[in-house]
Amino acid sequence: MRLFKVFKMALLGIWSNKFRVLLSIFGVVIGVFAVIALSAISLGVKDTVMKQMGGLGAEQIMVMPGRVLKDGGGAHNFLNGVSSLPSTLTNTDAEEIRKLESVESVTPMLETVGRIQYTKENEEPTSVEGMLVGTSGSYQGVFHTTLKEGRFFTEEEEANKDRVVVLGSGIHASLLNQKQELPEIDPAQQAEPEKTWWQKLLDRLTGSSVSAADAPAEEESLVGKEVTIQGETFTVIGVLESEATLGMTSDNSILMPVQNALEVTSTENLTSIYVKADSIENLDQAEKDVHAAVKLNHPETDFSTVKQTEMLDAIDTVTRILQVMLVGITATALVISGAGIMNVMVMSVRERTREIGIRKALGASTIEILFQFLFETILLCLAGGIIGLLLGYGFVTWWNGAITIFPLVLPMWVIQLALGSSILIGIVCGVYPAIKAAILQPSRALRFE
Amino acid sequence: MIRLSNIRRSYRSAAGRESVLEGLDFELDEGEYVAIMGASGTGKSTLMNILGTLERPNGGEYIFRDKKVHRMGNGKLTLLRNEEIGFVFQNYQLIPNLSVYQNVLLPLSYKRKWQSKKRARVKRALAMVGLEGKLKAKPHQLSGGQKQRVAIARAIVNEPSLLLADEPTGSLDEKTTESILEIFDELHEHGVTIILITHDPEVAKRAERILHLKGGRIKEQAYETLQSL
Ligand SMILES: Nc1ncnc2c1ncn2[C@@H]1O[C@H](COP(=O)(O)OP(=O)(O)OP(=O)(O)O)[C@@H](O)[C@H]1O
Ligand SMILES: [Mg+2]
Repeated sequence: MRLFKVFKMALLGIWSNKFRVLLSIFGVVIGVFAVIALSAISLGVKDTVMKQMGGLGAEQIMVMPGRVLKDGGGAHNFLNGVSSLPSTLTNTDAEEIRKLESVESVTPMLETVGRIQYTKENEEPTSVEGMLVGTSGSYQGVFHTTLKEGRFFTEEEEANKDRVVVLGSGIHASLLNQKQELPEIDPAQQAEPEKTWWQKLLDRLTGSSVSAADAPAEEESLVGKEVTIQGETFTVIGVLESEATLGMTSDNSILMPVQNALEVTSTENLTSIYVKADSIENLDQAEKDVHAAVKLNHPETDFSTVKQTEMLDAIDTVTRILQVMLVGITATALVISGAGIMNVMVMSVRERTREIGIRKALGASTIEILFQFLFETILLCLAGGIIGLLLGYGFVTWWNGAITIFPLVLPMWVIQLALGSSILIGIVCGVYPAIKAAILQPSRALRFE
Repeated sequence: MIRLSNIRRSYRSAAGRESVLEGLDFELDEGEYVAIMGASGTGKSTLMNILGTLERPNGGEYIFRDKKVHRMGNGKLTLLRNEEIGFVFQNYQLIPNLSVYQNVLLPLSYKRKWQSKKRARVKRALAMVGLEGKLKAKPHQLSGGQKQRVAIARAIVNEPSLLLADEPTGSLDEKTTESILEIFDELHEHGVTIILITHDPEVAKRAERILHLKGGRIKEQAYETLQSL
């Protein structure tokens, strides 16, 4: 069989039906574009979050409110537990953990929304809302933040409950009116415990989209100045370097010793506690110790300890589920568009009955006719796939050039999946019309009107 | 060269089975030029389809150069008609979206063996019918006579030993008819076996033998009785 020739005939068949072809592959174009764009986004988010989580370091153990159901297989649906329960963790728990030998450092975290106000001489006070974070000096090590100026609070200041505060660069800039308002964080978001983890993640992802990275360099600084938080006066001792990243950016954070934060916000509970084991080898032991220590005050085990690696696994699992769903959506879209293509091809075979009769009379074998029409369908779908791919690629390139929240990732396997599935659709939807064409009886086909 | 014996062919129709060929016998020698005549609907095209292996009879034997065609599978039949038979169909049967050149090339592009100088062959075939200047034209840009000549060029491009022509002059004027009959004369001189189906006694007279199809059988027709048809 002269496959190449048959292939050329298929090309010609497509070329002579340009308009109909264009219409029929529209579905494939959209389907492939959707899978490219959506997977690039989901992979981009995953990549960014993973990098941040990974940045915490493998020795990290997180103590979180809520009970995690460990299924023993390594994957944990702890994320359900994280946000569906109000926290009962307290600073006493943190102190309890601090006593452990297998633990190197403990970073209590209280995260809530707070308002900060600064009054410049002879001017109206400026007030902005930010993420009020009560923590300890080890915060810097856990989240790899660096200071643009000033310093972080000391253990002594923590112990003395000195009214000192370290500002995120965005907050700092806003207080000085150096740039437009930071996006308001809706306090309701914090108050609603029934929000699921992914809603919160989404809130954070979108809420942090404005970064102070492009704020003009200013000589002016608040270090040493006094600000008001929840009606109390604090001294600014440092400003953080800006972080133009997605998720846990510290740009709109207001950092203060955890005791102060508890007082100022009149709460008793921490959001979470980050614990660093003294070594990787001791990690499992440390987790057990931490668990036991917290359990002293929580006999009903309304908390969980999660190792950073487990967290990564869980995020991986979640994004994997997302990807499976994505593949499902794509498959559905492609099957629907495939049905359209099959319809067009069946019509095309009918319309070209005489052509098929002529070809068979002049020496085309059953197989050659079969492949001619099969190639035609495959080429159609592949063309749709390639157009969709180019559109998707254009979208990813545009996004990465214009949007800085997080970069999109377009790995090879997505491209292969997109093109592979278009070819598959071509084969699946092409077989029936091709067989219909191939088994036509030549004399009857020639008589066809 | 060809022997048909006791060929039967019937079609299913609304009123039951309609018999078209009923025990037809027919013999043809190598290099002969015969005309087949008969009223419309008597089964001339059906006979041509059977001779051209496009259709199988319900019964009977078909021998082509000592080969039992009625025993052959589809693949062998495809090969046989590609190598040995040239078709001029009743109504041109050109593929509309292919150019003249591509239409004439068709039989060559389905050749099993590799062939050299395909382009030259196509051009030679078109030159023979006087259409070498229309290579790129599409069928809809041609007149009826030109289409018929393209169809003839396509039928002879693979140098068949048997040429089957169904009403090749059906709707053409006298002058065009004459030019086409001259092509047939030339092919005949080159030793091509020709079966020509026609309604026109003047056209039939150009052949060496005239056969008459009636009642599902073939009868030899005398030249002299032609006028009375
Ligand atoms: N595929 C088919 N199905 C049903 N009936 C058919 C089929 N092919 C041919 N026939 C019938 O067989 C008979 C002969 O048809 P055929 O085309 O061979 O006639 P013909 O002699 O070529 O006529 P004409 O001179 O008009 O071309 C007709 O009655 C036609 O209806
Ligand atoms: Mg006929």
